[in-house]
Amino acid sequence: MECVVQGIIETQHVEALEILLQGLCGVNKERLRVHELCLKSSPNLGFVSSEVRLVCDLEQPEPTWIVRHIGGAMRGAGAEQISVLVRTMVESKASKNALRLFYALGYKLDHELLRVGSAFHFHRGAQITVTVSSVNKMPKLHAIDEAVPVTPGIQLVEVTAPATADNYAEVVAAVSSFCEYLAP
Amino acid sequence: QIVLEADLTIQTIMEKLQSYKSRVALNFEGIQYRVGDFQVRVGKVAPSYSETMRGIIMEVEYLPISSVLTAKQILEDFVDAWKDALSKKSLPGQFLHIEPNFGEYGLSDHYTSQHTAVQYATVMAQLIATVQSAQVRT
Repeated sequence: MECVVQGIIETQHVEALEILLQGLCGVNKERLRVHELCLKSSPNLGFVSSEVRLVCDLEQPEPTWIVRHIGGAMRGAGAEQISVLVRTMVESKASKNALRLFYALGYKLDHELLRVGSAFHFHRGAQITVTVSSVNKMPKLHAIDEAVPVTPGIQLVEVTAPATADNYAEVVAAVSSFCEYLAP
Repeated sequence: QIVLEADLTIQTIMEKLQSYKSRVALNFEGIQYRVGDFQVRVGKVAPSYSETMRGIIMEVEYLPISSVLTAKQILEDFVDAWKDALSKKSLPGQFLHIEPNFGEYGLSDHYTSQHTAVQYATVMAQLIATVQSAQVRT
């Protein structure tokens, strides 16, 4: 499970935001360069269609892979009163042949993107991660070096924090509180 | 043929995807022994939902060498000596060994936990085939 808040910022203001975040979080920014592949099951596979994401961290000396499943968002009267998106999320580290495995299982590449920017990891009532990144698309399959921004001049700001069914209320409160500092 | 190494949460992910359903789950549980440079694990194999034993597994590891080819002969010698000792006990049943083709999984001669996973997958397939064959006969 995770709590998520997303927003956008113009690229010209990213540097100022990063300085603000460095002060608020008390940590230095880390470089972010992540190749994300979204796979979907072929129509005749299973009773329901499914989607899985493979995330490759390109900033590591040896690229590392994570398999991530993002489920539905919390719904109902309780969810409507929460200003933060709460959704199920399960992830697993995996060896580098994860993409080959999912292709062999009948999954197809739906889309891929490259996120480039910075990340801040810190603890403030909950373990929070803030990323500021440009989302880039690739003109050819896996052509990371040729990636171009999907929305030039605009970057994505994401605030995420892992949560459980037992503690999500506290995590929501921590994320909400932090996000007030980022409001325009 | 692919062997993937992942966290335990990969099982949760596969369940949530619902594209594949778990058909068989076996537990391998037993005792580990050390015999000089050999490490031997012997255990029973039972379905995860039952105590009914489906078979016995024996795993032999020669610790000083991590090359599959180099260790092959000494492992065979150990198993032959052990089978000879076992035959004198007049116990029912016999141990079967099927050599997995590690090359089909893209694995090198250097033994790793991925080789172990392939061996256990081979053992499981062999055990399932033996149980199904016995059920057909009865």
